[in-house]
Amino acid sequence: MSTLLVWREKLQKIYASYSVYILKGLQFLMGLLLFGLINSNIGFMETASSVFCTGGLAVICTFFPMVVMVVAAAALVLVHFYALSMPIAAVSLVIFVIMYIFYFRFTPKKAWLLLVAALAFALKIPFVIPVVFGLLGTPVWIVPAACGIISYYMVSFVKASAAALRSTDSDSVVNGLMSFTKQVITGPEMWLMVMAVVIGILVVNVIRTRAIDHAWKIASAAGAVVCLIIAAAGNILLDGGVSYVEICLSSVLGVALGIVLEFLFFSVDYSRTENIQFEDDEYYYYVKAVPKIGVSVPEKKVKHITEHQPQETVVIDEKTQGVLASRAAAQGKDSSSGSQAETAAEDIDRNTDEILLTRSLSRELGLDQKGEKPR
Amino acid sequence: MDKQYIGRTCGNVMLDQKKIRLMTRTAIYEKRAGEEDFKITSYYQKDYSSLNTWTTLIWITVGFVLAAGLFFLCGGEDLLEGITILKLLILMAVAVGLYLVLLIVYGIGAGAFYRKKYTRAKRRVKRYLRDLSRLEKMNSKKEISRS
Repeated sequence: MSTLLVWREKLQKIYASYSVYILKGLQFLMGLLLFGLINSNIGFMETASSVFCTGGLAVICTFFPMVVMVVAAAALVLVHFYALSMPIAAVSLVIFVIMYIFYFRFTPKKAWLLLVAALAFALKIPFVIPVVFGLLGTPVWIVPAACGIISYYMVSFVKASAAALRSTDSDSVVNGLMSFTKQVITGPEMWLMVMAVVIGILVVNVIRTRAIDHAWKIASAAGAVVCLIIAAAGNILLDGGVSYVEICLSSVLGVALGIVLEFLFFSVDYSRTENIQFEDDEYYYYVKAVPKIGVSVPEKKVKHITEHQPQETVVIDEKTQGVLASRAAAQGKDSSSGSQAETAAEDIDRNTDEILLTRSLSRELGLDQKGEKPR
Repeated sequence: MDKQYIGRTCGNVMLDQKKIRLMTRTAIYEKRAGEEDFKITSYYQKDYSSLNTWTTLIWITVGFVLAAGLFFLCGGEDLLEGITILKLLILMAVAVGLYLVLLIVYGIGAGAFYRKKYTRAKRRVKRYLRDLSRLEKMNSKKEISRS
């Protein structure tokens, strides 16, 4: 566990250092995935569905705020719809305008959540959305999630009935238009998924904000189970075409992602929880304090080993020893010449230190082993 | 409290950490929310919230007409089948009732939303102006000490 926590700290440090590049990289990947999916599913206009257009749009949107990507995605969808049938494009435009009027006018910065929801549905992992949105967001996030699901189903309706919608006969056009509008407004599978995701987000959010131990884990599991039950029950009742494998796998993935998110954003130590009660003049307070788990990343200390500096070793022979001894004797005799005597004593001390240092170093480095006799 | 300086001396000039913090904070604010906040606070709160609430109500009317058109396209044939004047009146009453409910809900919601937005913008601008005046004081102090 501590290793994981250290990794988390390292990840945080890396993110703090390179957040601009990481965010732009993720934005580019998201753009590539989004425009690629739109073009591969409803690429009715050949020019707009080319690889260059996909890549180009992704690159351009990388350098702008996320709301530009939302507008570009909506425009690309409308262009493809227009290539298929003008009335379909007009109805789709009206639906996008209604979404803008009733919600995105107020919080345009949250518009990218619509893309995330639609992408999750396109990647066949629908029940990751309630867990992620419920854990990281607020209950208001149900609106962009619902709009994303409606947009996804709108595209998939057109993809499924492209051949019928393509005909140029006026009766067929009117019939196609009415059937498309009916499917978008009253599509049972679409509304079933909208209901499952909305209730899932609310359940996850309500449990996550309770003061209970392991709230995040319980919320993830409960949200996934609620979504699974609603989707399965609705599918049986409506005799819909929701894939059970898909919803089961996405629920499991949602729970796993919930655990990862908890580890990244909410790692606390419930074993050290403190329940405190105190009061002031007006209130009684019942406080539950759960300590955060925090580890400091071990810092690597780099020790610089500088090049060995050769030291001068003074070898004292008999003659020098004699001189030193005579100096010492003179120092003892003549106390008046104190300065000279002090200098001599300092010399002796220094020389003695140097000799001792040399010997100890030689012993440590094994230089004098040759001369030693084996014991 | 002593002034905190960072970095090396550049000639005779030292970097004032407190001043750098203030300048960074003001620059970030100007980059992120400054322009919008100045625009918002150029109004009185009541004017701002009522203007935007009215705009929202107009948008809601447009949205309602578009949504009603879609519903009519979707189920108009069934609705108009065997229509009588009474049925038509009931249908119109339901539509008008829905429209009024929508107007009231969005009117109240938008009013509260824009009042809150104004209050937050005002608070941010106030803090920004306080930071600017502190910076000005620092600069004037420096000028005096130089002279």
